[in-house]
Amino acid sequence: MLGKLSWAAIPFDEPIPLVTSIVVILGVLGLLSFITVKGYWHYLWHEWITSVDHKKIGIMYCMLALVMLLRGFADAIMMRAQQALAFNAPGYLDAGHFDQIFSAHGTIMIFFVAMPFVIGLMNFVVPLQLGVRDVAFPTFNSVSLWLTASAVLLINLSLFIGEFSQAGWLVYPPLSELKYSPGVGVDYYLWSLQISGIGTLLTGVNFVTTILKLRAPGMILTRMPIFCWTALAANLLIVAAFPILTATFAMLLLDRYAGFHFFSADMGGNPMMYVNLIWAWGHPEVYILILPAFGIFSEVISTFSGKPLFGYRSMIIATMAICILSFLVWLHHFFTMGAGADVNGFFGIMTMIIAVPTGVKIFNWLFTMWSGRVRFEVPMLWALAFMATFLIGGMTGVLLAVPPADFVLHNSLFLVAHFHNVIIGGVLFGVFAGYNYWFPKAFGFRLDDRWGRAAFWFWVTGFYLAFMPLYVLGLEGMTRRMQHYDVAGWHPWLIAAAGGAGLIACGIACQAVQLVVSIINREALRDRTGDPWDGRTLEWITTSPPPHFNFAAMPNVIGEEAYWGIKQKALEQRRLSDMPEYKSFEMPHHSPTGFVAAFFAVIAGFALIWHIWWLVIIGLIGGFGVFIGFAWRDVSEYDLTAEEVAEADARRRAARIDLVEGREPGITKVEYSGESADPHHVHAHMEPDGGHKGPAPKRIVVGYGFWIFLLSDFVMFSGFYAAYAVLSHANAGGPTARNLFDFKTVAIETGFLLLSSFACGLATIASHVKNLFWTQIGYAVTGLLGLGFLGIEISEFVRMVQEGAGPDRSAFLSSFFALVGCHGLHVTCGLLWLGAMMAQFKAKGFTPSILRRGMCFGLFWHALDIIWVGIFTNVYLLGLS
Amino acid sequence: MIEEEEAYGEFDDDAAPGDQEHGAHAVARSVRNYLIGLALATLLTASSFWVASGTGLIYQPGVPMALAALAVAQMGVHLAFFLHITTGPDNLNNALALAFGVFVVSLVILGSLWIMYHLNANMVMPADMMNMHMQP
Repeated sequence: MLGKLSWAAIPFDEPIPLVTSIVVILGVLGLLSFITVKGYWHYLWHEWITSVDHKKIGIMYCMLALVMLLRGFADAIMMRAQQALAFNAPGYLDAGHFDQIFSAHGTIMIFFVAMPFVIGLMNFVVPLQLGVRDVAFPTFNSVSLWLTASAVLLINLSLFIGEFSQAGWLVYPPLSELKYSPGVGVDYYLWSLQISGIGTLLTGVNFVTTILKLRAPGMILTRMPIFCWTALAANLLIVAAFPILTATFAMLLLDRYAGFHFFSADMGGNPMMYVNLIWAWGHPEVYILILPAFGIFSEVISTFSGKPLFGYRSMIIATMAICILSFLVWLHHFFTMGAGADVNGFFGIMTMIIAVPTGVKIFNWLFTMWSGRVRFEVPMLWALAFMATFLIGGMTGVLLAVPPADFVLHNSLFLVAHFHNVIIGGVLFGVFAGYNYWFPKAFGFRLDDRWGRAAFWFWVTGFYLAFMPLYVLGLEGMTRRMQHYDVAGWHPWLIAAAGGAGLIACGIACQAVQLVVSIINREALRDRTGDPWDGRTLEWITTSPPPHFNFAAMPNVIGEEAYWGIKQKALEQRRLSDMPEYKSFEMPHHSPTGFVAAFFAVIAGFALIWHIWWLVIIGLIGGFGVFIGFAWRDVSEYDLTAEEVAEADARRRAARIDLVEGREPGITKVEYSGESADPHHVHAHMEPDGGHKGPAPKRIVVGYGFWIFLLSDFVMFSGFYAAYAVLSHANAGGPTARNLFDFKTVAIETGFLLLSSFACGLATIASHVKNLFWTQIGYAVTGLLGLGFLGIEISEFVRMVQEGAGPDRSAFLSSFFALVGCHGLHVTCGLLWLGAMMAQFKAKGFTPSILRRGMCFGLFWHALDIIWVGIFTNVYLLGLS
Repeated sequence: MIEEEEAYGEFDDDAAPGDQEHGAHAVARSVRNYLIGLALATLLTASSFWVASGTGLIYQPGVPMALAALAVAQMGVHLAFFLHITTGPDNLNNALALAFGVFVVSLVILGSLWIMYHLNANMVMPADMMNMHMQP
């Protein structure tokens, strides 16, 4: 009934997790009863939980990241304390507990601090900077947030119920296989990250589509703020890299749950294939985090130097170059696994080449500050500390990119120091700069300056004290993840590092105080004009906080630094630009879809971890129901009238009078960029809007978004396909492809799928001319042929299992069943979708929204056929030939 | 609230993937397009089966290459005739996204094969020894 769950799962005999659990549970109960007593539920539900406003979603992402930063840091300080104590002694943590802590620390800091913080800032800022009112798919944005939150819930649940993984933050097999990690720890890890991975993938699709298809009129690509460019690169990387992670974790889950042999040490499995695949995701992941941080620094440095960003176009080229190069270096994470000189040499050189565009960026920032009027506000302090710190981290990275040096330094604390150097010095300093920089835009008041500075100095000095000793320790040969040691020379350095962690703790405390003090003093810190830093990009043209529709009238962009041009013109003429003609427009409705979907995701995830199968089924049916409900809704948007908009904008204009009349301190008028349209940036042959007419119509937005999603699906299949290609000869003495496959079955399957694709195409044509009869006939034929395909495939699978050639027989069969089965699963999902869509055609006729879905379904079904082409030729036919 | 019909004319420099032409005779042309695609796909599929079934016409070690080439060709046919991805200016964004996808997919597959082949070559451990090693 309850699977593996029993009272033994609660850690009654371990004081540390038990006390933590009780404190956390009491805290959460206290918070919930506070909300209930105060009667805040209604407000929370309507204004936050069901909100699809990108700004609120962004703020919630950042709050989630800040809370998890506390959790991840608690793990960090426990590890530093353990290593400071455990010289010739056991310390206060036993080895199993210590292993859980370093695994949890890495997992939480990357997936649930860095990722949500970066995604939160992108959510908040990107649509504002593009001059639009929301992202491409607002409801999916809310789904992304809540799926991430459910993963956070599951990860933290492992503290009270069961245990967490002890296999490191990337759970390398064979240690993470069921044989060596029989507990639920690895399952907590895998299911949490699968759930949050879906959320992250949706974010990626959403933001690529938003940036490429929804921009204010005139905002051609080479007028976009650099933060939007880095966000575009990061989201392209999400779309291309996260599916590999999903595929890899799926394989490990099949190993653990169904006895497959992808990565096991027997029956032909290959643990090194896991390491290869996980880093094919893992290296782009690093750049998913750091590229947006580069974007934040670009905005901050340009704003606080009072100058346009130096080398704007070279910055774009460098960003996109890093986006591509980051896919060509993954082997440097496992130089020592034995690939040999050719392979190591290639990847070592590619790694060093990445330093070139990064160096271009550093020089661009330096030249931006050169002869500027630099204001040392808190965000700028973080940016300066970043440049110095990241440089050190980058150089130790180039050192590690030399394969012979890596053979000496790999797996040592030198490596640990390196990646903390770039992730704290790059990503974390970046999000802190962004947090201080955009906080006034989000809440309407600045953060306290003094406490901000105190936090900054504690963090920076603490960072150096905590991590510079780790470089030394690494060179002295101390490996990472040691629970205790007996080398006297290491002890003082580890005590120093623990001191550094203590300083960082003070920094975090200062940040907490800063937040509280700022809220108390919010009237004194109020930002009245919406432009507290003398900014240059479009988010500063609207009020702080912005109205939920962001802009009363979509700004017209003429040149780079859209807002700076408008502001200089206004300052020169000492008056605001003319009142625009206000028009009514549509805004998306709030929706509980995200929250309800996440609720079922938690149920399904928890049940899967504990093998409670009936609950899994409930969770999955619930999730499917949510999507049907979402697809069936009629009204997704409401109209905002021109009068409401005009009224809101009148308040904004009143607040800005002081600014344009030169009465607002800190707002400068700079002579050399005084023209509203900088002649260097507007080419004579261009129309003023640069040929960009504004956001694309919905049909194109939806089609493009779905196309991006399909490409990510192709990438996921490429993970399974690569596993098959590598393992197809590892039959462990069992049957081979030639014994198992048969020409006739494959030929029939292929014929069915091809004809079904054709029928689907005809149905799409019929739907274009609104012929309901032929549309339904076409789709019915599509579905029947698809069902036939699925039936043959299932009977083939059953036959193979009965003949003793099931997926547990060999690595070859594991990879075959997973690849072909994943395609079959897609066909099954397609059939469910098709059924729901046909019902909708029948009930509602040809509305534009259903036609858009028909277009997406057509793309999906044809794409499945393309994937099948790869499978029938290079799996079945190659196996038979 | 009934959604309005969407205009096609205004954004004629941009197209959704899978968009087909509109206007007079569009249906006939679209159907013809699908029929050509179906014929080509059938032809390529049949060729693949023929190559794999051990015909003497193709040098045996070249069969995997031939199969891969036929598969790529057939994927191209599906993209052009079923998904309507073209090289026209209105399809630039869709084609660029596809190019990025193809780049990543080939990197994952070819990169994995290259790396894993070298690992296997350098870490010679015959299957029997592996099995002996695993015995208790």
